[in-house]
Order: sequence, then C-alpha cells, then structure tokens
Amino acid sequence: MADLTFDPDEHGELFSAYLDGQLTPEEVAVVTELLDGDLEAIEEFLSLRNIRTRLRLLPEFEVPAALLPDGHLGDRLSAYLDGELVTLEHRRVTNHIVDCADCRVELQELDRARIAVRSLPGVETTVTAEIPATVVPHRRRRIIAGGIGAAAAAALLVGLAVGGGDDPVFILNDLATRHIARASAEPGFAVLPASIEVAAP
Amino acid sequence: MTDEFTPTWEDVAHRYGRKIYNFAYRLTGNPDDAADLVQEVLLRVRKGLPSYRPGSFEGWLWRITRNAFLDGIRKKKRRPESALPEGDHHALGSSPSPDEVLASIRLSDNVQAALLKLPYEFREAVVLCDVVGLSYDEIAEAADVPVGTVRSRIHRGRKLLRGMLTWPI
Repeated sequence: MADLTFDPDEHGELFSAYLDGQLTPEEVAVVTELLDGDLEAIEEFLSLRNIRTRLRLLPEFEVPAALLPDGHLGDRLSAYLDGELVTLEHRRVTNHIVDCADCRVELQELDRARIAVRSLPGVETTVTAEIPATVVPHRRRRIIAGGIGAAAAAALLVGLAVGGGDDPVFILNDLATRHIARASAEPGFAVLPASIEVAAP
Repeated sequence: MTDEFTPTWEDVAHRYGRKIYNFAYRLTGNPDDAADLVQEVLLRVRKGLPSYRPGSFEGWLWRITRNAFLDGIRKKKRRPESALPEGDHHALGSSPSPDEVLASIRLSDNVQAALLKLPYEFREAVVLCDVVGLSYDEIAEAADVPVGTVRSRIHRGRKLLRGMLTWPI
C-alpha cells in the first residue's frame, strides 16, 4: 500500500465509521495505516472518539410508566394453561411469569378455577341446544362441564347451571353476578376468585 | 427483533418504549415532547401491526418513529405559538454565531445543549447511532437514505459537536 497522508476531510469520516465498527476490512487497513505514527491523524481520531464516548455516556431516561401498558399477560394466561400458545409465545409467557409475581398469582388463580370447572361432575341429561341469555331460577338446565377457564367464565356469565339438587342454579347465578361485578371493575379480568367452590348438585 | 411472529403492541411498548422516549428526548430536549412521541408511536404501531409482515421489525418501527417525530415538528410549524427545537431554527437559516453557541453551552450537561444546535439530519443520525444504538444499515432504513449518507451525517454531526464542546473533557 502506498504511503498515505492524513487529510481530515477525506479520512475523518473513516475514523468515525471505524469507531462504530462499520468499515470494510480494506477500510480498516487504511485507518490502521493512517494511525501508525501520524500525530495529526491520532489527534483527530482521539477527539472523535471522545465525542462519541460523551454521547454514549448521556444518561438514559426512564419512560414514564403511565405511557406503557401494565405489562401483564391478560388472556394469554388462560391460553398458556390450555397449551394453546405456539412455542415462541409460550416461551415469552414463561419468561414473564418467572419475573412477575402478579402474573404468577393470577396464573394460580386461573389454574384453580380451571381445575374446579373441569372437575364438575357429569350430569345425566343431554346438553340443551339453546343457551338462554339470562338465568331463570327454578328451571333445570345442564352445564357444559369441560372447556377452558375463559369458557367456564363465559358459561357462568350466560347463566348455564348444573341440573339436579334442590336449587344449585342460585349458587351459580350468584357466582356469575360476582364475576360480572368484578369484571366490570377490572376490565380484562377473567378469573374466578380462588375461594369459589362450586356446589355439588 | 427478528422473530417470525409479529409481536403484540404491548411487547413493542415494553421493549422499545424507553428507546423511543430517549430518542425523542435527545432530539428535542423536552420530556413532554418525548412523552407525546411515545404515545403517538405506540398508537401507530397498534394500528399498523395487523398489516405488518415479519421482516426488519427495527427498520419498520424506527421508520414509524421518525415519521411520527417529523409529523410532530410539522404540526408545530403550523402553530407559530409553539417553538421549534433550536436545531430546527438552525436548519432554517437562523443559526446563532459560533460565539453565541459557545456562550450558551455550559460546561456541565452541555452535550444535550450542543445536540440541539445540530441541523436535524445530523442530530437524528447521531442520536440513532449513539443514543439508540442502531447500526448504519438500520439508520439508513429508518431514514430512507443510503448508508453512505448515514455515515457522512454521523461524522459531520460529531465534528460539529466537537466544535461546540470543550475537549478534552
């Protein structure tokens, strides 16, 4: 390579890009040669490095929390429990749960609700084809006992009830009312309280 | 972010909200403008995600961020009661003399003040590189200019800053 003479206008840009790791190997060779004993080049290089360092040491501000969503998982928790998340999403949710105590508690509550719904006893009569919009006391109906937590909550909301027994409809109706109240107060909330125990028919 | 799955806007907010906020803060020196930009960008991300196709997510996001920032400046230009960032006055030809600039910049916390004196294109390139941490390729994609232009802008921006700041520290 022929001897290079440092020219700030021509080579300064190379120094900046060199500091940022954005040069080709050929350009790196040019910079290396320029910095080999040329005091003017070295001074230019050091001054650019100094500016770059000062910029990169600027303190980083925290974004105001009010600008961001609360960061919890919402309805993804139910899908997580039911194994309905694709692998990458599953991993993200797992990572979040490891770090977030709030979501761990909500996950446990959802799991208890899910287990409670899944362990509802089977019933004898067939499933009604028509789902009433409201609960009508003293009338026997059937519940679709299986399904996921969200489906169970929805089932309570539309007033499905377990048949048999003296009056289990009122118990579930009360649960549904409480759930509606809580869901209204906390948009996005779809968890049965952990203390709920569904009365056996 | 190079995931094959499109992130949710909540993911975007948490992963990039801070970077977007700092980008805007360093460009404007103003926390209110920075907060406004974060809100606007997240709104645009939320609207745009359904039509986003997996690819260079960073490029897509920073293009949105840059456009939102420039739209904000244009709105302010239509409202004369709102002051432009100082560097934009500079870009419009009302630049202070070097002595005025030097006098206005105190030794403490002077980098931010110097940044605000840069013409917008240089300031943007420097902030995206040194504050946000984007590569030249990513900056080129966000600003829709060739990589060589990005390289030139970053260098010229740093040279201007060097002229305004005392050296060594």
